Amino acid sequence: MSNAKNLLTIKDLHASVEEKQIIKGLNLDIKPGEVHAIMGPNGAGKSTLGYVLSGRDGYTVDSGAVTLDGKNLFEMETEERARAGLFLAFQYPVEIPGVSNLEFLKASVDAQREARGEDAITSADFLKEAKAACKQVNLPIAFLKRGVNEGFSGGEKKRNELMQMLLLKPKLCILDETDSGLDIDALQVVAEGVNSQRSADRSFIVVTHYQRLLDYIKPDFVHVLSDGKIVKSGDASLAHELEAQGYAWLQKEPAEDELEG
Amino acid sequence: MTEQIDKALAREYEAGFVSDVESETFEPGLDESVIQRISEMKGEPEWMLEWRLSAFREWLEMEEPDWALVDYPKIDFQAISYYSAPKSMKDKPKSLDEVDPELLRTYEKLGIPLIEQQMLAGIAVDAVFDSVSVVTTFRDKLEEAGVIFCPISEAIKKHPELVKKYLGSVVAKKDNYYSALNCAVFTDGSFVYIPKGTRCPMELSTYFRINEQNTGQFERTLIIADEGSHVSYLEGCTAPQRDENQLHAAVVELVAMDNAEIKYSTVQNWYPGDENGKGGIYNFVTKRGICHTSAKISWTQVETGSAVTWKYPSCILKGDNSVGEFYSVALTRGRQQADTGTKMIHIGKNTKSTIITKGISAGKSNNSYRGLVRMNPGADGARNFTQCDSLLIGDQCGAHTFPYVESRNPSAIIEHEATTSKVSDEQMFLCRQRGLDPEKAVSMIVNGFCKEVFKELPMEFAVEAGKLLEISLEGSVG
Amino acid sequence: MSEWLESAITRAQGINDWLLPKRANAIELLSNTKWPTRKAEAWRYTPLRSVERSVAKAINDVVGLSPVDITDLSAIELVFVNGKFDATQLTKVLPKGLSISLGKNLDSAQQKGALETFSSIKPERHLFGLVNDALAQDVVVVTVADGVDIAEPIRISSLLSQGGESHTRVQVTLGDGSRLAVIEDVQAQGDSLNTAFVEYHVASNAQLEHYRFALQTGSNISIGGSHFNLLDRAKMHSTIVAFGSDLSRLDTDIIHAGEFADAKLNAMYLLDGKELFDLHATVEHAMPNGTTEENVRCIAADRSRAVFNGRIHIHRDAQKTLAELNNRNLLMSNTAEINTKPELEIYADDVRCAHGATVAQIDKQALYYLQTRGISRSKAQVMLNFGFINELIDLMPNAALAEWVRPIIRERFSQMEVK
Repeated sequence: MSNAKNLLTIKDLHASVEEKQIIKGLNLDIKPGEVHAIMGPNGAGKSTLGYVLSGRDGYTVDSGAVTLDGKNLFEMETEERARAGLFLAFQYPVEIPGVSNLEFLKASVDAQREARGEDAITSADFLKEAKAACKQVNLPIAFLKRGVNEGFSGGEKKRNELMQMLLLKPKLCILDETDSGLDIDALQVVAEGVNSQRSADRSFIVVTHYQRLLDYIKPDFVHVLSDGKIVKSGDASLAHELEAQGYAWLQKEPAEDELEG
Repeated sequence: MTEQIDKALAREYEAGFVSDVESETFEPGLDESVIQRISEMKGEPEWMLEWRLSAFREWLEMEEPDWALVDYPKIDFQAISYYSAPKSMKDKPKSLDEVDPELLRTYEKLGIPLIEQQMLAGIAVDAVFDSVSVVTTFRDKLEEAGVIFCPISEAIKKHPELVKKYLGSVVAKKDNYYSALNCAVFTDGSFVYIPKGTRCPMELSTYFRINEQNTGQFERTLIIADEGSHVSYLEGCTAPQRDENQLHAAVVELVAMDNAEIKYSTVQNWYPGDENGKGGIYNFVTKRGICHTSAKISWTQVETGSAVTWKYPSCILKGDNSVGEFYSVALTRGRQQADTGTKMIHIGKNTKSTIITKGISAGKSNNSYRGLVRMNPGADGARNFTQCDSLLIGDQCGAHTFPYVESRNPSAIIEHEATTSKVSDEQMFLCRQRGLDPEKAVSMIVNGFCKEVFKELPMEFAVEAGKLLEISLEGSVG
Repeated sequence: MSEWLESAITRAQGINDWLLPKRANAIELLSNTKWPTRKAEAWRYTPLRSVERSVAKAINDVVGLSPVDITDLSAIELVFVNGKFDATQLTKVLPKGLSISLGKNLDSAQQKGALETFSSIKPERHLFGLVNDALAQDVVVVTVADGVDIAEPIRISSLLSQGGESHTRVQVTLGDGSRLAVIEDVQAQGDSLNTAFVEYHVASNAQLEHYRFALQTGSNISIGGSHFNLLDRAKMHSTIVAFGSDLSRLDTDIIHAGEFADAKLNAMYLLDGKELFDLHATVEHAMPNGTTEENVRCIAADRSRAVFNGRIHIHRDAQKTLAELNNRNLLMSNTAEINTKPELEIYADDVRCAHGATVAQIDKQALYYLQTRGISRSKAQVMLNFGFINELIDLMPNAALAEWVRPIIRERFSQMEVK
């Protein structure tokens, strides 16, 4: 596995929001099929990482390089990154009134197929797939007809994100605090959906504050993000360690930080 | 972001071509002799001329309205030609074979084939080119059902009793400045009569085309739905791309007798002028319908064209239990100005009205909703619901709402709501993160915003309207 | 032009005092003004016939009128009797940082400053504002120094005798970070006519609590305005309570001239008989990040006529504005009339603006519910009407005023004819 080519390579990434640097020298390599959990205290830059990678307006890359499948991510527009296989599951999914879920999903799938030079999927075939995906994430079929996230509960929104992932079949999924606001049942549904998508050519970045989600989605690696960089990496056991200790120790070890620097 | 949206909004006006048709056009100018000549060209009876002249005299005494939130240079009514018709139409072609092929080509280019075999089966078309009706299709089929669908100039001669009774009965001659002008100089338009208890077997449609330079188009439409009848009528309009402004002042009157239903849909795509506001149509239109007992009139409009729009399709809910509806999408960009809305006048008991409007402003345009809901003292149990939503795209445009709410009946209920929003950065980011390009994302979000109105359009028009909006939004995203 | 206006202009031309430059400007504007008919948008529903016919005359007698006593209200009394400022009723020793004086008594430097602010907030479009500019003589200037919190409210009372005509004018300036409460009140006897305008300049971080009572009824004609200019982070909370009369018209303008200003306006009016009340409320968001919340409620009974125009104007630069207007009306009879026009004029895209207006009658189900509990229909109606208005009374920050006005409103409801 270690000989395989990286799917995602992040080298010394520095990034800012409104002129305030949030990511301060982040390095990360992800190979196809790996699941990486990124944990850390509030304000560490966890969500920012997802936004920077997906190219959200207002998130500025100051220095560093990121490649996806060997291509320079920062030379691509947001939609081009998506078409290259990057998927962000939003922490706070956005509502688009009047635009039905189905219409939105079909347009997204079409755009990505087109970018890959594939023919557009027929409406009938797509509907079949969408219904299956709906079922898989435990959403009533009627949700396909409703406006994108319009009036959905927190859990429904998260499942809707997952459904989009199922249909778009990305190479790299960034799950941004997908567990926030979910009860245990919803959490299991989401985790099962994610696990069903794990495969040798699909990687995940699971961003979470709590270890709880990682009981259901077993990561290959766990990284601790603090003040814009990864301060500790390990295997799944690190998550339990964190759960036991909390994040307070991060503030207590400035010396180590300085040594690293 | 805004930059992208603006880019997406810069569009081509696809209907902007000029047809090479030899026309007979009046010299610019307006006086009683011009009106006499129009009447003569049309071979009208004396009463019609008298009617026109009396309207003209009223018009001379009136003042141009200035209350709308639109700004345009004063119109020189003497610089406009009031009649223009293709020469080939002079001999009144008896069938399509005799119609100038260039005219047929014009409509084909606009996506309105007039050869019946090529047409959408369910729609009969009256094609009006400048001041004359070129052809009205499917007339035989309609006649079988007893439906009269013909140019109004023909109805004046063939059905004078109906025209005399109803022309000017809904919009009085001196109702307003432009309606008075229209009464004096109208040239053509459509006439529809649906007999008692008849459901019109197909959609009726009129397609208006301005071609000649410096002419005004003054069309007149009169639709009478007799007791218990039903008709769905569609209207479309385009004009060539020119640097000069052109005036379009139409009057539409609808009469819905007891238990009748008229559905009137418009896709207005007159040339809007260029980015800097040069050229474009001044669209000053009076549309009004009267509903008798348990009748229903439903106006649906998609307004994407014209440099200046001044238009308030209205319902007089005279009969008890009658229903009025107004669904509108108005998109303005560049330097377009739209002041549009409706009036719902509740006179009868238990009358109901619904107003749903979606205004989209982009570029340096201004888009206003202006409406009136009035509950008269006799309108017991009447009900109105109004929802006006505005979407702003960019920070150089304006979106405005001017609703007049007047109630004199305590048992009537009026509810009015207005909101304003923008295409949010979050929505754009979500769409793009899923792989949609910015243009597609904006048009999707805007279409979603308009959905409530689009679903009121007949199927063929809904598709056209969606496309029109998409074209309008092309290149407007950032 | 009407005879009434001509006479007003003639009278104004005869006045020569420190306000001369402003007065001359107003006279000039008035001379070029067309007397409004129904076609004038600002007077579409409010005919000015009663003004044209008015025979009210200036009265010099100032004896015998004093403001109404309000339990538990201790206010700094600023009293005009028939248009004349009655200094004898200003008995309190003014707290430090507060100054109140007649414009004509200011020294020339102060006068210069007062002249600059005079009519600088009230927009020129108000016809009777111009009349007031031209005819107001005892202009009172109130100033609160920076950072001073004035605990007692100032009450401005405009008192009128039978047949009297008056034009009163006050300008109030709140310094940076200061706080002040002002109560405006008109108490007029029959056949009288008055214009009463107050301009408020609310500097950065200052807070103004404002009340305007227009409870005069009958044949009185009152046309007035309260106009507010808000600088950075200024706050205002205004409450308007009105009945109607032959003609009662109020114009308010709230101008967000600074960023992060916050305005709240709660207005309620209850009309009976042949009364007319007309409120024109305009909010100008000229700067970013401002917030405005307006609640306007009306009950119109018998043959009364209610008019409301609520305009919110978001200027190009006023990004991130939040502005909301909620207008609810109850129509009690089919000879009464409610005309309402909420308006939005928006030139900035990143804003959240909304308005809603409803006209209906009392909730029949609620009425029925109360009746099933044994309450008479008329009593139930009073209760529901009162509840509808009381929601806004409850929001009045000054408890003494709320306690005072509640029974007055209840009394009015009990007199309204139930149909």
